[in-house]
Amino acid sequence: MMPSFCLAGTLMMALFFSSLRPESLDPCVEVDPNISYQCMDQNLHKIPNNIPSSVKHLDLSFNPLKILGSHSFSNFPELKLLDLSRCEIETIEDKAYQDLHQLTTLILTGNPIQSLSRGSFSGLANLQNLVAVEIELASLDNLPIGHLITLKTLNVAHNFIRSSKLPEYFSNLTDLDHLDLSNNYIQTIYYTDFQTLRENPQLNLSLELSLNPIDFIQPGAFQGVRLHELTLRSNFNSTNVMKTCIQNLDGLQVHRLILGEFKNERRVERLDRSVMEGLCKVTINEFRFTYADEFSNDITDFECLANVSTMSLVNVYLRQLEHIPKYFKWETLTVIRCELKHFPPLENPFLKRLIFITNKGATSFAEMNLPSLTFLDLSRNGMSFRRCCSYSDLGTRSLKHLDLSFNGVIRINANFMGLEELEYLDFQHSTLKKATVFSMFLPLEKLLYLDISHTNTKIDFNGIFFGLTSLNTLKMAGNSFKDNTLSNVFTNTTNLTFLDISNCQLQKVSWGVFDTLHRLELLNMSHNNLLLLDSFHYNQLHSLKTLDCSFNHIETSKGMMQHFPKSLAFLNLTNNSIACTCEHQNFLQWVKDQRLFLVNTEQMMCATPVEMKGSLVLDFRNATCYIQKTIIGASVVSVLAVSTIAFLVYKFYFHLILIAGCKKYSRGESVYDAFVIYSSHDEDWVRNELVKNLEEGVPPFQLCLHYRDFIPGVAIAANIIQEGFHKSRKVIVVVSRHFIQSRWCIFEYEIAQTWQFLSSHSGIIFIVLEKVEKSLLKQQVELYRLLSRNTYLEWEDNALGRHIFWRRLKKALLDGRAWDPDGVAETENNQQEATTSI
Amino acid sequence: MNRVAAALLVWTLTSPSSSGRGDAWPVHMACSSGGLEVLYQSCDPLQDFGLSIDQCSKQIPPQLNIRFGIILREDIRELFLDIALVSRGSSILNFSYPICEEDLPKFSFCGRRKGEQIYYAGPVNNLGIDVPQGEYQVLLELYNENRATVACANATVISS
Repeated sequence: MMPSFCLAGTLMMALFFSSLRPESLDPCVEVDPNISYQCMDQNLHKIPNNIPSSVKHLDLSFNPLKILGSHSFSNFPELKLLDLSRCEIETIEDKAYQDLHQLTTLILTGNPIQSLSRGSFSGLANLQNLVAVEIELASLDNLPIGHLITLKTLNVAHNFIRSSKLPEYFSNLTDLDHLDLSNNYIQTIYYTDFQTLRENPQLNLSLELSLNPIDFIQPGAFQGVRLHELTLRSNFNSTNVMKTCIQNLDGLQVHRLILGEFKNERRVERLDRSVMEGLCKVTINEFRFTYADEFSNDITDFECLANVSTMSLVNVYLRQLEHIPKYFKWETLTVIRCELKHFPPLENPFLKRLIFITNKGATSFAEMNLPSLTFLDLSRNGMSFRRCCSYSDLGTRSLKHLDLSFNGVIRINANFMGLEELEYLDFQHSTLKKATVFSMFLPLEKLLYLDISHTNTKIDFNGIFFGLTSLNTLKMAGNSFKDNTLSNVFTNTTNLTFLDISNCQLQKVSWGVFDTLHRLELLNMSHNNLLLLDSFHYNQLHSLKTLDCSFNHIETSKGMMQHFPKSLAFLNLTNNSIACTCEHQNFLQWVKDQRLFLVNTEQMMCATPVEMKGSLVLDFRNATCYIQKTIIGASVVSVLAVSTIAFLVYKFYFHLILIAGCKKYSRGESVYDAFVIYSSHDEDWVRNELVKNLEEGVPPFQLCLHYRDFIPGVAIAANIIQEGFHKSRKVIVVVSRHFIQSRWCIFEYEIAQTWQFLSSHSGIIFIVLEKVEKSLLKQQVELYRLLSRNTYLEWEDNALGRHIFWRRLKKALLDGRAWDPDGVAETENNQQEATTSI
Repeated sequence: MNRVAAALLVWTLTSPSSSGRGDAWPVHMACSSGGLEVLYQSCDPLQDFGLSIDQCSKQIPPQLNIRFGIILREDIRELFLDIALVSRGSSILNFSYPICEEDLPKFSFCGRRKGEQIYYAGPVNNLGIDVPQGEYQVLLELYNENRATVACANATVISS
């Protein structure tokens, strides 16, 4: 009893949890709020009810819904797309999709549907696409869709359908244009199968019958049937079956017939003329032939297809193609991945479009003669061109589209003479030789699109694009320029709207390169080696919307960022070497301000300085720069202040001394500051220089001068002693040639010496006015000794010399000027310094 | 006995239907013969798939027959294969190859729909190489035109 109770309990709990999970959690992903919900593989057993009713796209695939009851989707009346792939649905009850009036696409792939009732698809008033792939459908009759008159596409591939008979309800489906019956079990096709199509000639159906094991088509089964497209790939088990079946397509009118096999579904061992002969009685506009291994070498095997306008050969083992008979009216010929011996030198008067791509064996181009050709695509053949390109190579004068991309070496030896109608020209990833020797595009005035990306072209000739006056788009990524400098190559291409010069190793841009490109809207300069973003280059680009400078080495900008054109909406500077230093803070601030206009600013990284490496440009703080600025500013101001003060102190040194010492100042017992001993020959200097500077300057000194201060009537000697030495603090001796020769002067000097010795407080200041010859000086032994031992002032008659002279003299005179009883000794010392130092 | 049954029932009811999701998918053996062993593990969090290689050998023939089965989680109007070969931590080869193109697709499974089951048994073109002795990691990824993963496998190739 006990165990069974436990079991019941656990069961209840388990059921509770399992039923709770889908509802309590919201298992769906909101792809587009209120519009699109994705609930794939969420183990939902029923349709979640927490999805808003405005939902338009609902993906419920890979949930074990099992049964769709009636009105299952009544909560979602606006649904347009409903995906029920692999929901293990076995039963779709009546009116399951009722109310889905807006639904256009219903996907039921991979459901093992066992039971459909007549009203299973009722209510789907607007259904256009029904995908009923792999639903174990045994017959089209079992599909109750006769009322879906809006249906355009019905996909019933990968089912168990054995009959290609289109039920009568197809006559209601007047909009149906695509029926996919591929990968079913249709073995036989009878005349009656397409009776509906005969009776409803307005239908323009594309019928896909590939991968059905067809072994019999009743003769005339397609008689009177008109189709837009019929696809028969990998349907036949042998050449014979194929031959018979194709013969029995007679009477069919089809716009496009696709015949052949798949790479992995090869059954027909050989395709030959006899198989193709069956197509003589079929009216075909466009024929596509794929995967035929052993096809005969003779192109005339396609004789029955001589009148098709479009011929496509994909993966057909053809070997040669050159001898297409002149009466073949093919206007478009597509040759893709075909095994050819060599490039076919085609000659045909009707061919307008030739698409010849990815073919093995075509190693070198040969001249063609296709006078009606307007579209030529020879890309991806790895082919080399010994000469290119002119009328004589292609034999047409009406060519508008020429694609020679992804080939080998293309030697340019003509400038498109006779190909003046070209509008599209593509050389990308081929190697161009001699492309910059002359203006190769000169006659191409109508060219709109030119791609020379990755063509190993080194542009050293500014006239390369001369003549391209209509050009809209120029792609030249992956080339190089002389000196890695973008030169003035765009002067003629004034109509450019798209220019790609990425991956060109550019380091510099010459001035005015883009100045003529007023219509340019997109400029790609990414993956170059630019170091600066210079807005001046772009300021003439009045229509520029997108500028890509990503993947360069740009550290900062140059010039004012306002010079970018006003139309610019996207600027990409990601993956550069942005320098996050205060030096470039204006640029960094600009980056922050222009976040909307710059692309992916949040991914822009700093490259320098080292400590900022890897951090985001947006994280750069300007505040750090302000602190540094304040520090720098303050120190500059203080240095200035200190130097001003120092200058002022220096300049007004004597004023300061005067102010500081004015109160204590007195000459004491002296009347004069100095007694001047000089020769009368030097009187001019004494009057004009000495007196003027000392007595009229700051501080004013009082000098004792014999012509002015000696008392008349008194003996000269008495005057010298009384007025000169007694009343003066110092003695200034003006030494000159005349001084030594003057006896009075020598007398005065000797007295001064004696007097100094006696009074012991006065100093003698020597001023050497002019260089005195040694021999002359030696006459005065004492003076000579003194001058050679002591420092003296030497008069120099230049601005700096004078300045220094007067400062030294004033300083010497000032020493001991403001004295007090203690200051005497100090004065003495200072005076000693004045005479000995310097 | 009943207790065991109850526990088992609880476990089956409460565990997610596609058991193994969240954990890594089991490692499968694609082939093991002729001195070559190929193991693989699905790296698509949504699903596992089946792969086997016929006639495994150190001298890989130019036409190698494989069998591959999967339930598609995406439409494959276009399908691309990326292969990255790594040995001893260094990348040897990166290769990208278009398998299905929209216009006139090569293979019969091209254009199949989400929810559809594919079983491919057929040849795989390759250069026909001799596998030098060693252990190789191969990352294979199939994706569609919307860059949505269709299948993904981490394979280990051991050549002895």
